[in-house]
Amino acid sequence: MNWHPVLLSLQVTAVAAVVLLGLGLALALWLARSRFPGQTLVETLIMLPLVLPPSVVGYYLLVALGRGSPVVEWLGWQLLFTWPAAAIASTVVGLPLMVQVARAAIANVDPTLENAARTLGSSELAVLWRVTLPLARRGVLAGLLLSTTRALGEFGATLMVAGNIPGQTQTMPLAVYDAVQSRQYELANQLVLIMTVLAFLALWWARRLEQPARPRAKAAPLPGATASPSNRL
Amino acid sequence: MKPLMRLRIDVEKQLAAFRLQVQLAVDTEILVLFGPSGAGKTTLLNLVAGLATPDAGEIALDGTVFFRRHRPGPPVNLPARKRRIGYVFQQYALFPHLTALENVAYPLWRQRDGRARALALLDRMRLAHLADRYPHELSGGQQQRVAIARALAADPQILLLDEPFTALDTAVRERLQRDLRALQQELGLVVLYVTHNLEDAFAVGDRLAVLREGRLEQVGPLAEVYRRPANQQVAGILGIRNLFRARVVASTPEGVLLDWDGLLLTAPPQAVSVGQTLTTYIRPEEVKILYPDRPLTTAVRYNEVTGTIVDDQIQASLRTLRVAIANGHEVEVRFPLHTYRPLALHRGAQVRLALRREGIVLLSQLPTDRPSPNGPAEA
Repeated sequence: MNWHPVLLSLQVTAVAAVVLLGLGLALALWLARSRFPGQTLVETLIMLPLVLPPSVVGYYLLVALGRGSPVVEWLGWQLLFTWPAAAIASTVVGLPLMVQVARAAIANVDPTLENAARTLGSSELAVLWRVTLPLARRGVLAGLLLSTTRALGEFGATLMVAGNIPGQTQTMPLAVYDAVQSRQYELANQLVLIMTVLAFLALWWARRLEQPARPRAKAAPLPGATASPSNRL
Repeated sequence: MKPLMRLRIDVEKQLAAFRLQVQLAVDTEILVLFGPSGAGKTTLLNLVAGLATPDAGEIALDGTVFFRRHRPGPPVNLPARKRRIGYVFQQYALFPHLTALENVAYPLWRQRDGRARALALLDRMRLAHLADRYPHELSGGQQQRVAIARALAADPQILLLDEPFTALDTAVRERLQRDLRALQQELGLVVLYVTHNLEDAFAVGDRLAVLREGRLEQVGPLAEVYRRPANQQVAGILGIRNLFRARVVASTPEGVLLDWDGLLLTAPPQAVSVGQTLTTYIRPEEVKILYPDRPLTTAVRYNEVTGTIVDDQIQASLRTLRVAIANGHEVEVRFPLHTYRPLALHRGAQVRLALRREGIVLLSQLPTDRPSPNGPAEA
């Protein structure tokens, strides 16, 4: 068996995961903790790759990374039909899942706890690091798993910006397609099995993270549940 | 003992339902901020703590300005983390991912002896044996003690408490109230204590500030405010019963003669003008029931009224009767459960009531005609 597509997929997905964690977390925090005009527009734009056909997303990326785009003209990065282009495509289609799940987890952290941390001398960065993220970590991790799994399975947009060059940009989903086209069913079966097991494990773990399994998570008060007006006069 | 301090608050903030406008000075004492839900009490604490920003005003602890805007001097807005204010939130707000000890040590994380100091504080709150428990493994009273220890960990000069003991049962509450008083004395803290429970206020407070719809109605020593509410609103907020309106018929050095819709009552002498109508009340505890066969020894000091019992309620060790009297109104009478045993007190029974003359309180007519010991004058 040719292991190149498996290793390439892992490489592409690892890079995508790092970017998804950094960029996705920043966006999730921004959207969960601030209100600004045009917020719905930003949210919709981030969500768009979730529903657009991968070919459409791929086309946009083709334009963004192709000749005449700032990436090429100013930075001099010739990314098209290289593996970094595949990483970019994977990140863009994974981002909506990361932002949506992480944002929900952050919004669920009681703002009173963050205020308590502020009165106890914490800067905004310390509040984030010592209170918000530890309390939202299960959701953030679940979002990262989901989005990374989606990145691993990316096919359409990758095909358009990175091509399907065996030994260079052919990731696992593309290799499956090629294998079926050339009737190499044994190879297809192996790749399909690997992909399915990886995806299954990731989803299963993400599901477990999203269920408040440990009693410790139960103690995290929801903002609405605690400030009950019934115990007031 | 630390030197005495004074927190001066002068803030304005537009809220959804009203405009919060408060001028208040808090010394090294426990000042109880009292008022109905939605009066702006928590908002006021948040403004002091730096968790919300006033539209205008100045907040300062002695020479240290926390906030200043639209007031003489350069604008200031010190972030919450630099104000060194301990804040005990209504629902404790303990960090659920940290143990009791880690919660208390939270503000001390950069100090080498942070854990030791946190442990000493927990010990002070009789919680050292629970240091490694998570908040959800602690009872409400224990959580609240952790919250107080945490608020004191960074050695603040000001302590804010937002209805800290309302969710706790009586025995635990009384113990924490004593703890708080002791801590305030020991550490010389400026304490602002929000509650809507009058017994709570009396148990911990030195002075009372009554807040209604964003404005201070009255500030003064607790007993003083309770005995002499500045106006009908304050009386209502304090939960005073048997409020009525009466017209002054005569005012002599012996007393004030009032006409309450046909019933004549004598109140202690005071400066009122004949003909004016005043809001008046008599506390249910000040109304006595007369035994038919026993003459009153000090009849002169009582107003005698006859009426019919229309309602009878027993709560804990107190019994409350509502008695319909001749002028068409009802009077509430409250007494310990086992007093008046020989009397047949049941619904429909006729009783003779004595309204103690000294118990009839006339509320001053103008809301703020008396200079409060604490107010804008010193700003």
